[in-house]
Amino acid sequence: MLMIILALDALDLKQVERFNCHHLLQTEYGETSLTGFKQERTVVLWASFLTGKNLEASIPVETQWTYRVHSEKTFLPYFTTHKTIDVPAFSFNQKAHVEERRLLKGVFDEAVTIEAYDAVVWRNHEKNKEAFLKAIGHFDLVMGYFNLADAIGHLSFGINDKLAVVYEELDRIAEAVKDSNDLLFIISDHGMKAIGRYGDHSRNGFYSFNQGMGLHHPKITSFHMLLRRLVENEYATN
Amino acid sequence: MDKDLQDLEKKSIAIIREAKAQFKNPAILWSTGKDSTATIWLCKKAFFGDIPFPVIHIDTGRKFPTMYAFRDKIAAEWGFNLLIAKNESALNQGMAPEKGRLDCCTELKTEALKDLLQERKFDALFLAIRRDEHAIRAKERYYSPRDKDFSWNYADQPAELWNLYVKPSEDFSHMRVHPILHWTERDVWQYHQQENLPINPLYYAKDGMRYRSLGCMPCTVPIPSTASTVDDIIQELETSKTPERAGRTQDKEKAYMMQKLRALGYM
Repeated sequence: MLMIILALDALDLKQVERFNCHHLLQTEYGETSLTGFKQERTVVLWASFLTGKNLEASIPVETQWTYRVHSEKTFLPYFTTHKTIDVPAFSFNQKAHVEERRLLKGVFDEAVTIEAYDAVVWRNHEKNKEAFLKAIGHFDLVMGYFNLADAIGHLSFGINDKLAVVYEELDRIAEAVKDSNDLLFIISDHGMKAIGRYGDHSRNGFYSFNQGMGLHHPKITSFHMLLRRLVENEYATN
Repeated sequence: MDKDLQDLEKKSIAIIREAKAQFKNPAILWSTGKDSTATIWLCKKAFFGDIPFPVIHIDTGRKFPTMYAFRDKIAAEWGFNLLIAKNESALNQGMAPEKGRLDCCTELKTEALKDLLQERKFDALFLAIRRDEHAIRAKERYYSPRDKDFSWNYADQPAELWNLYVKPSEDFSHMRVHPILHWTERDVWQYHQQENLPINPLYYAKDGMRYRSLGCMPCTVPIPSTASTVDDIIQELETSKTPERAGRTQDKEKAYMMQKLRALGYM
């Protein structure tokens, strides 16, 4: 079975619609529910997505970026072969993200310009994109994580032109991996809302599929079981 | 009187009188800065000398001594009813910017005002904010409803067509009224000059530096300037490309985001 998961940090349905990103808006789309989560922490939400369990209580803020879930607790082993690119709590590129967070702090401390920060975020994004696109077609499951909307959005969510470029880029990635034979699943951990020029996490995550799934406001933890069933059905009918 | 200033003044006075007629228990905030001092003057003119509602000064305990001196002098000379909003318990517990600028602002400004509002049941507050000060203030209306938590829903504000400023409903805790929303920083200084209003000396340059916007001492820094008269300040503004609030070390959104990103573990 060929499945592609495009894991887009902070992708927000309102912005997807506003910028008319029709490749991100697929056959079925909507918002996910974060009921049961006190905060919208990136690592917690992706770890919970991977395992189907709310792991908020077991991931302390202080050590969250180095937290790893074991493969056997995720949905990944349901697929014969799989490849993940930079997925938080699993195959996160520590070095790249440590640098991004250092620069983010530098912007607030007025030691780094926003332009310098943006440049590093975009550079890391391009690297991930290259690895992601290269992996397509070689594994049963390819899951690529992109934090562009989150990283750029935190400092520039209120700046329309910059946000438009980010959403156009993410829409182009969705277009590039779109294939009627593969199941394309796009998911975000949380949405984003404007605080002046800045962006804060909102509780409205995004999901879309290129096939009808009949979901209604699903919890982020409920996709684990869905993916398991999809794989079982696929192998049962082949 | 300059025709442009006359038009600005006329509109502001109309808003002040309209709000006084529509609300039962209004009050005005006064920081002792140029904008709120001009607005108090407009209130005096609107009601022929006597301001018919209290003037509130939020005392964070960390303002410049010059601001306190200026406040007491003007309050005595102009003879209005001055109320001090102060969060004594937070100050006693040592609240300071070092504990987080946003927390400090919330405790010493917002909570102090909330307590006074609750105690005195004010239903409208005049504030001297201007659209040209900050991007977020550009979204403000002359009448801006707030809920009990002081939240402002900028996506759902009353329409203000044909210069009609009306209370939209009773569905708010208090109304913020902004009589000089349409003024610019330059307008305010020209008005000060024209009306010969008292000016906080912090605005004038000393040793090559002056304050362009006044706040609490730890969070306000002076800008390089040689302007020592109102004329000089107006002239300086003609060529300045620096934002008015550049001397404030943190704006609220930035402080909020820093705090939120820390809570989420980014920093």
